[in-house]
Amino acid sequence: MLEAIAGRPSRIFAAMFRSLRLPLNDPFAVAGLVIYAVFALTAIFADRIAPYDPTEILFTADYDLASDLMPFTEGFVLGTTSLGRDIFSQIVMGTRSALLVGITAAFMVALIGSVIGLVSGYFGGWVDMVLMRLADIAFGIPFLPFVIVLAAFLEPSIWNVVLAMALVLWRDTARVIRSQVLTLRSRGYVDAARVAGSSDIKIILRHIAPNILPMSFLYGSVAIGWAILTEASISFLGFGDPQSISWGYMLQDAFASQALAKQSYHWFIPPGLCIILVVSAGFFITRGYENILFPKVGR
Amino acid sequence: MRSTYKMLAAGALIALTAASPALAGDPIRRIDILTRPQAVNPPEFQSAQLVAQEWRKLGLDVNVRAIPWEQITDVVWYNRETWDTGSWQMVGRPERSDPDEFIHNLFHSSTVEKGYNFIGYVNPEYDAVADAQRIEIDPEKRRELIFEAQEILARDEPNMMLAHSTVVLAYDKTVWDPASVVDQSGIGIRNTWTFNNITPLGDQKDIIVNSGTNLNMINPLRQSGAVDSWVVELLYDRLARVGPDGLPQPWAAESYEWVDDTTINVKLRSGMMWHDGVPLTAEDVKFTYDAAVSGEAPMYQPFASNVESIEIVDDTTLVFKLKQPSASFITSSFAKLNITPKHIWEPILEDLKTKPENAESYQEEMPVGSGPFKYVRWLSNEEVVLEAVPTHFQPPKAERFILRIVPNVEATLGMLRSGEINFLGDYPGDPQVLIDMAAEDGDLEIAQTIEMGFKYIAFNLRRAPFNDPAFRKALSRSVNRKLIVNAAYKGFAEESNSVISPALDYWRKPGLSDGFETGTDYAAKLLEDAGYELIDGRLHYPGDIKETITE
Amino acid sequence: MSFLKPASARLLQLVFVLWAVVTILFFMFRLMPGNPMAAYIDPTFTVEQQEILMAQFGLDKPLWEQYFIYLGNLLQGELGDSFRYREPVAGRILSLLPNTLVLTFSSLIVAYAFGILAGAYLAWRRGSAVENIAIPLVLTTRAMPEFWLGMVLLAVFSFWLGWFPAGGTRGAGASYDSYFALYTSTEFLTHLALPALTLAIYSQGLPLLLMRSNMLDVMKDDFVTMARIKGLSNWTVIVRHAARNALLPVMTSFAIAVGYQLQGNVVVESVFSWPGLGRELVNAVSGSDYPLAQGAFLAIAVVVIAMNLVADLLYAFLDPRISHA
Repeated sequence: MLEAIAGRPSRIFAAMFRSLRLPLNDPFAVAGLVIYAVFALTAIFADRIAPYDPTEILFTADYDLASDLMPFTEGFVLGTTSLGRDIFSQIVMGTRSALLVGITAAFMVALIGSVIGLVSGYFGGWVDMVLMRLADIAFGIPFLPFVIVLAAFLEPSIWNVVLAMALVLWRDTARVIRSQVLTLRSRGYVDAARVAGSSDIKIILRHIAPNILPMSFLYGSVAIGWAILTEASISFLGFGDPQSISWGYMLQDAFASQALAKQSYHWFIPPGLCIILVVSAGFFITRGYENILFPKVGR
Repeated sequence: MRSTYKMLAAGALIALTAASPALAGDPIRRIDILTRPQAVNPPEFQSAQLVAQEWRKLGLDVNVRAIPWEQITDVVWYNRETWDTGSWQMVGRPERSDPDEFIHNLFHSSTVEKGYNFIGYVNPEYDAVADAQRIEIDPEKRRELIFEAQEILARDEPNMMLAHSTVVLAYDKTVWDPASVVDQSGIGIRNTWTFNNITPLGDQKDIIVNSGTNLNMINPLRQSGAVDSWVVELLYDRLARVGPDGLPQPWAAESYEWVDDTTINVKLRSGMMWHDGVPLTAEDVKFTYDAAVSGEAPMYQPFASNVESIEIVDDTTLVFKLKQPSASFITSSFAKLNITPKHIWEPILEDLKTKPENAESYQEEMPVGSGPFKYVRWLSNEEVVLEAVPTHFQPPKAERFILRIVPNVEATLGMLRSGEINFLGDYPGDPQVLIDMAAEDGDLEIAQTIEMGFKYIAFNLRRAPFNDPAFRKALSRSVNRKLIVNAAYKGFAEESNSVISPALDYWRKPGLSDGFETGTDYAAKLLEDAGYELIDGRLHYPGDIKETITE
Repeated sequence: MSFLKPASARLLQLVFVLWAVVTILFFMFRLMPGNPMAAYIDPTFTVEQQEILMAQFGLDKPLWEQYFIYLGNLLQGELGDSFRYREPVAGRILSLLPNTLVLTFSSLIVAYAFGILAGAYLAWRRGSAVENIAIPLVLTTRAMPEFWLGMVLLAVFSFWLGWFPAGGTRGAGASYDSYFALYTSTEFLTHLALPALTLAIYSQGLPLLLMRSNMLDVMKDDFVTMARIKGLSNWTVIVRHAARNALLPVMTSFAIAVGYQLQGNVVVESVFSWPGLGRELVNAVSGSDYPLAQGAFLAIAVVVIAMNLVADLLYAFLDPRISHA
C-alpha cells in the first residue's frame, strides 16, 4: 500500500495540499499568505535585489566612510549604518535568514511535535507515558533562557535558535496533536479499519495524518513568528551571529550605535516593521485556521 | 570535458612543482581574526573587518571570528598555540603612567609562557633593554632605554598597532563647577582627583555616575574589575597617587624620600582614621605589604614582591628596603596597593590560611577604608552609594558618590539629559552622538582625552607565517591607519605606532611614524621581496615551505 | 475531596520534572567546551593557585561526583558560589527575585484587566468595524519584539516627553527600609511604569482573545438566551452572565502567562536596567559564571514549573468535567 502511495507523487501532493485546508476565504489569512509570498520572493531573489553585500564596508566618492547617511543620499535607498553598511541590502538579505530560521524552526517544531503527538496518542500505554513525561520536562524548561545558554556556549549561529526550538518547543504541538489523535481514534472508523485488517502505519497515514495536518500547519505558522522573535531577542542581548545579517542583528546594531539618540528612524524602524509583518502574517493565517478548525466559535 | 582539462592542468602543475621545488610553497591557510562581537565594542569589530578587507587584497583568506571576551581570553591566554591573530586592547590605568608595565610585561620573554607576552615575542636584545630600564633610577637615562625599546618594537612589529582612542566623557555643568573637574593625562575626567575635587554649584550635591557593567567585588586585596576600582580607589587610600600629570605624588604619605637606590623613608600623615573610627598607623601600612606577599592576595603579589623588609620607626614613620633598585616602584607599588585595615583583615587572613579560599574571594559585609568616601550600601545590579568623609585630609566637596549600573547605552544618554545621572563615567558609544547631544542640550560639558592605552591586532608569533617578521610587516603595512581612525573610530582616535601613548609625552619616542609607509601595493611588494607568491589570487609561502597547521 | 489525590500525583510529577530539569541543566553547563573558570583565573596565577581555585569550586572532582554533590547541595537550598562575585548564588537570586516578580505580576495584572475588559467589549461588538480594526491590531502587538517596543516607549515617554525615568527601580541614592516600602513608593511606581507597560502591551493579547472567544461561546448557551428572553438588557446579560462564565478559563491562563512572562523579562530588564533575575542570567551567561547562570536559570524554571502546576490544578478545580486520569 505504501508503495502504491509513493507511486503517485503528484496526486499525493495534491491530496496533501488539499488536506492543509488553506483558509483562502478568510481575508486575514489571505493577507498573511500574501505577506509570506512577498517575503519569500524577496528572499529568493535577495542577491539580485540587494545592491550591496550587507556586510561590506562602504565608502563615499571622496573615500570617507559612508556612515550614517540619510535615505536616498548617494544612492542608498534606506541610508547607511553607523559603520557604513547599506541598510536596504541588510533588510533584503535579512529576509533570507529570517525565513530560513523561521521556516526550518517551524518545520522542526511541527514535525517533531506532530510525530510525537501522533505516536503518543495512537499507541498509548507506556509509549504515551514516556513521551508525555518528556513533554512535561520540556514544559519545565524556560525557553528564552535556554536559547541564551545554548547561543552563548556554542559558536554564535542563527541555527542555535532552530536547535533550541527543536529541543523544547515541540511540546505544545505534541500535546495538542495527541489530544486530537485521541479524539480521532475514539471515532469508530479507526477501529473499523483495524478490524478490516489495516496495519497501524496505514491507519495512521490514511485516517489520522490527514486530519492533523492543518493543526500541525497552524502550530508551524506560529513557530515561524516565535523563531524570528527569538532570534531578534538573542541578537539584541549580544548572542547573535555577526556573520549572517538578520533583522535582529540590525536592531542590535542600531541600538548599539545609538540610532535612537541620532533619530535614525530609517535604521531601526524598517527591521522592526519587517519582523512585525512576518510574525503577524503567521498569526493571521492561524486565525484563518481557527475559523476552520473551531467553527463553533461563531466569529 | 572541462573537468578533464582541469585535471590535466592540475597534473601539469604538480609535475612542475615537483621539478622545481623552489617555485612556491603551500597556499597559506585561512587566517582567523578573533574579535569581540559588534554589540560589545563596535569600533573594535569594525577595525577587524577593515583589517580583514585589506588583508584579503593581498591574497589571504581571512575570517573575522566574533566571540565573547571570555572565549577570546580562553584561547589567547590558555591555549597559546591555537590562534592566529586577535583584536586586543590595553586599557589606561593611573599606574600605567609608568612605561614599565607596557614595555616590560608585554614583550619580555619571561612572560611568554603564562604572562602578558601571549604573542610569544622573544628577542634577547629587547629583553636586555627592558630589564635595564627597570633598574635605571635616573629618569633621563631611563628615557633613552625606553626610546630604544620602542625602536626595536617599531622594527620588529610584533603587534600591529592600530590606534589610541579618544576618551569622550561628559558631565552636567549646571550641577558641577567645570573649573573643579580634573582631566588626568591618558585617563580622562573620570578619576579620583575629579571625584575628590568636583564642586557642586547648587542643591544637587550627589555625584551620580553610570557604569555599563556590574561591579564584581569591593575588596582592597583584589583587582576585580575596572568599575570595581573606581569604587575601591575612593574607599581606600594609597601611600601615593598618580597625579593628573601622570607622575606619582604623596597621598597618604606626607612624604617619601630615597635614602639610597634600595631604601625609602616614608612619613605618614598624622591623624588618619579608618571609617570605623580606629586610627590608621604605620602598622596598617606594613600589614598591607605583608598581606600582598602572604599568598592570600596573588594579584597584588607582583607589586610588593620587590620589598625586602619594612621597618616601623614610629606610628607614622616607616623604612622600606627593596631587593633591587626599581625605577617604577613609587608608581607601581606605592600608588597601587590599597592601605588595608589590619584590625579587620588580619583575623580574616588568619582564618583564610586554613581554607582553600584566599582574600580575593572574601567580600566584606561593610568595607572599611580610610579614603575620602565611605561605604554606605551596594544594591546588586543597581547602584553603589558612598558618602563623603569630611574629616579626611582631602575632604570631597560633594556629599555622596552614587554609581548607577545602566547596561543600555541609549538609556544612559537619556539619563544624562534628564539628570538621572550627572556625570558620564562610562560611554562605549559613538562620541559624535554625545557631542551633538551636548551642543543641543546646553547643560552638558564634554571632555576629550587621548587614552593611555591602545588598540592593536596581536599576531601569534609562535605560528607560521607570523613568525616571519617580513610577513608581519607586510600585513601591518597593508592597512593605512587613517582608515582605522576614520572608518572605525570616526576620527576619535590617533594613529598608533608605539605602545607608549601620546598621553605619556615624556616617554614616547618622537618621530616613530616618520616613513611609516602603508598601502596594498607597498605590502604586496614587501611580500614579494620576502619570497611569498601570489598564485591564482591566493598567497603562497615562499620557497618550499609547507603549511603545517590544519584546522 | 476528589481533588486531593490527583493533586498529590501532580506534586510527584512536579518533583520528577524538577529533577529532570536540574539534571539537564547540570550536564548542559558542564559539557560545554572550554575551562569553566578560564575567565576568572588570573594569568599571573601559578599552577597551584589555579588548582586551588578549581578545588574551591569543586571542579577537580569527576563529573558524576560533582553531579551528586550538586544535587545534595540543592536539596539543602545551596546553589554554590558565583565565580564572579565570590558569594553564594542563592543570596543573590533571592535579592533579585522580588524585583522580577513585581515586574511580572504588575504587568500581567494590567494586561489581564485590560484584556478581559477589551475582550468582553469586542465580543459584544462582534462583526463591527471596531472589531475589524482591533483584532489585527492586537495580533500585531504580539508580533513586536519586546525590546524594540521597549526602546520605542523609552524614546517617546522618557527621552522625548520626559514623563518617566529611563531605568532602575528608584532614584539615585534613595533608600528604603524594606521591599514593601520600596514597592509602595511613588518613586518606584514611576520607574515601574515603562517596563511594565512594555510587557503589558505584549501580553494583553492572550487574555483579550481568550476572553472574546469564551464570551462568544458562552453567549450562545441556553441560559444566556433565557436571560435575553426574560427581557434583560444586553449589557446586563453580558456582565452578569456571560462574562462571569467566560472569565474562569481566562484566569487559569494567568498562571501559564506568569511562566511565559518571566522569560520575556530577560530582554525587557536589559532595556530598562531593571535589577532582576533575567538580567542576572544574561550577565552570568555572557561572563561564563556557571554557578550563577545555573542558579538563575533554575529559579526561573522553578517558577515556570510551579505555575504550570497551578494552572493544571486550577483548570481541574474550575472545570469538573476534566478527569485526572
